[in-house]
Amino acid sequence: MDVRDSFKNATRAILAAKMRSFLTMLGIIIGIAAVIVLMAMGEGSKQDILAQIQGSGSGNLYLTPGAQSSILSGGNAGTRAAGAKITMDDIKAIEAKVTYPIVVSPANTMGITIKRGNTTMAGSGVFATETYFEVNNIALAGGRFLLPSDVSNRTRNVVIGANVGSTLFPDVSPIGQLIRINGMSFKVVGVAVSKGQSLLGNSDNTVILPLTVGEKSFGMQHDRISMTTIKCVNPDDSEEIVSQITGILERKHREVDFSILDQKALTTLFSSVMNIFTTFLAAIGAVSLLVGGIGIMNIMLVSVTERTREIGIRKALGAKERDILSQFLIESSLLSGAGGIIGVVSSVAVAYLIIERFIPVYITTSSILLAVGFSIAVGIFFGVYPARKAARLVPVEALRYE
Amino acid sequence: MEQLIQLNDIRKTYTIGGVTIDALAGVSLDIGEKEFVAIMGPSGSGKSTLMHILGCLDSPTSGKYLLKGKDVSSLKTDELAAVRNRDMGFVFQAYNLLPQMTALENVMLPHSYADQRMRAQEVRTRALELLERLGLKERMNNRPVEMSGGEQQRVAIARALMMDPSIILADEPTGNLNSKGAREILDVFKELHNEGKTIIYVTHDDNIGAQAERVIRIRDGLVVADEGD
Repeated sequence: MDVRDSFKNATRAILAAKMRSFLTMLGIIIGIAAVIVLMAMGEGSKQDILAQIQGSGSGNLYLTPGAQSSILSGGNAGTRAAGAKITMDDIKAIEAKVTYPIVVSPANTMGITIKRGNTTMAGSGVFATETYFEVNNIALAGGRFLLPSDVSNRTRNVVIGANVGSTLFPDVSPIGQLIRINGMSFKVVGVAVSKGQSLLGNSDNTVILPLTVGEKSFGMQHDRISMTTIKCVNPDDSEEIVSQITGILERKHREVDFSILDQKALTTLFSSVMNIFTTFLAAIGAVSLLVGGIGIMNIMLVSVTERTREIGIRKALGAKERDILSQFLIESSLLSGAGGIIGVVSSVAVAYLIIERFIPVYITTSSILLAVGFSIAVGIFFGVYPARKAARLVPVEALRYE
Repeated sequence: MEQLIQLNDIRKTYTIGGVTIDALAGVSLDIGEKEFVAIMGPSGSGKSTLMHILGCLDSPTSGKYLLKGKDVSSLKTDELAAVRNRDMGFVFQAYNLLPQMTALENVMLPHSYADQRMRAQEVRTRALELLERLGLKERMNNRPVEMSGGEQQRVAIARALMMDPSIILADEPTGNLNSKGAREILDVFKELHNEGKTIIYVTHDDNIGAQAERVIRIRDGLVVADEGD
C-alpha cells in the first residue's frame, strides 16, 4: 500500500470518529502544551535573571574585602574578617599594574534618609567616583554625572536615581535643586534613567554621592572600600585580569583577604541552575504527555477491536502483516502528531497571551521541536502494541468476528 | 485436465474448552482449471472450513495442499497473503465491503496490497470497467449502505476480479439475497466460468448447488459424494 493511500485511510479513520479522535488528541495537546509552557516559563525566568546580572554591566568583576564573597549582600556582609580591607592605595595599584584595559569603580554604600520639603523617603547612598556611571551602565535622564573635581573637592553634589527624582520632585525638574540627606544639604546635578529591579538591588532608589563625602560627613571608616567594581573593556580578558589583580593584592597584603567575583562565572552558575530548573519543569510536563500517550494506546486498542472484521477483510484481499501494522501506526502517529501541532499552537497562545502577564516566558525553537518530535514518538511507541495486535490477527478468525 | 488444486488428507482440528473437534477429518480431492464447483453440506459439516483452507485464509492441522503444483500448506503468513492477493478472489455471504469506502474504492482495494503495481490511472480504469461490466457504473461513488444487497454482492465480485485471479471462491454468496439477486449472482458466475475462471462456491441450498457442473458433498468433515454433470 503506498504512502498516500495509507495517509488517506488514516485520516478517514480519524475523521470517522471525530469526537473520540479529538478527546484522544486532547491528552497529547495538554501534554505538549504543558511541556512547552513550563519550559518557556523556566527559560523566561532564566533569561530574566541573566539580563539582570548583565544589566549591572557585562564583563564586570566585583572585588570585596574578606576571603568570602559578599557580592549578593551588596558588599556589606558581616562575614568579612575584621582586619581585611581594600584601600584607595590598592585601587591605584590595580589601575596602574593591570595590563588589560579596565575601568575601576570603588564604592561604599549605606542606607540613607532623603528629604525634600515634607517628603521623606528611604534610599541607599552609594559613595563613588566618576567611573561608577560607566562601569554600572548608568545613563542620565538629565543633568550631568559626578566629576573628578566633585570627588577631590568633597563637593556636596549628587546624582539621584529615577525613583528618587519622581518621588521628591513630582512636578519640577530636580536639576540644581537641594535635597537633605541624613539632615545635610546636597545639590542634585543629575538624574539617572530607570534601570528597574536588578539582582543587586533597585538602583532607582539610589543616590550617588562623591566617595570622599562618606568619610567626611557620614562617619564612614577612613580609606576603606567595601565594593569595587572592575569593568573589563574586553570581557574575554576577565580570567587574566582576575589573576593579575589577585597577584597584585596578594603581594601588597601578603595574604588573600579579599575576594573577586567574576560576573561571567556568576552568569554561568545561574545559567546552569536555571537549566536544571527548566529540565525539572519539562519533566513534569512530560508526565502528562505520557498519560496522553497511554490514552492513545487505549483508543487504538479499542479501534483494533472494533475494526477486527475490517482487518480480516483486508487480509483476505492480500494485506500483509506490515500493511496492517503501518496502517495502525500511521493512524496513531497522525493522532499524536496532529495533537502535538495543536498543542504547540495553543501553548504559544497561552504563554504569550496569558502567562506573560504574570511571569516572563521565552519559547525556544528547540522546545517546540522537542515537543513535536516527542509527541510523534509517543504515537509510535504507544501505537506499536495495538498495531501488532491487529497485524497478527488470523484472517479467518478476524472475518468471523461480529 | 491439469490439476489446479490438489488436497491430500487435509485435516483441521479445533480444541474448544478441552474438547477436540475434527472440522475436517481427512479430505482429499482435486479441482482442475476452469471447473465450476459447488461444495454442499449441512451446517457444521466442515464446508466453510474447507473453503477457508482452499482460500489460504486458514492453514490445515495436517495434510498437503498443492496449488498449481506448489505446496501452500507450509507457506508463511505473508506468502499466503500474496497468494490470496494474486490467485484468489473472495465473495462472502455478508459481502464484506469496507463501509467507509465507495464502491470504486472497494474494488480498487486489492491493488493496494499487490506486489506488482499498476499506475494509478490504470487501476482506476480497470476498476471502472469491472463495475460497468457488473452494471454498477452509476454506483461507483456510493457507499455500501446506499446499495441493495444484490448490488453490494456485485461490487464484491468486481473486487474479487480486480487482480484477475484464476480462482473465485464464494462462501454462501446468495445466502443474504432474494431469488432475483441470487439468480443474478449465479449468472455472473456462469459468465466468468465461460471465460475460463475456476469457480468454487459453498452453499447449503440444493437449487443453488444444482447450477454447478460438479457438486462435492461434505458431511462430518468428510467428502461423502463427488458428482460431475
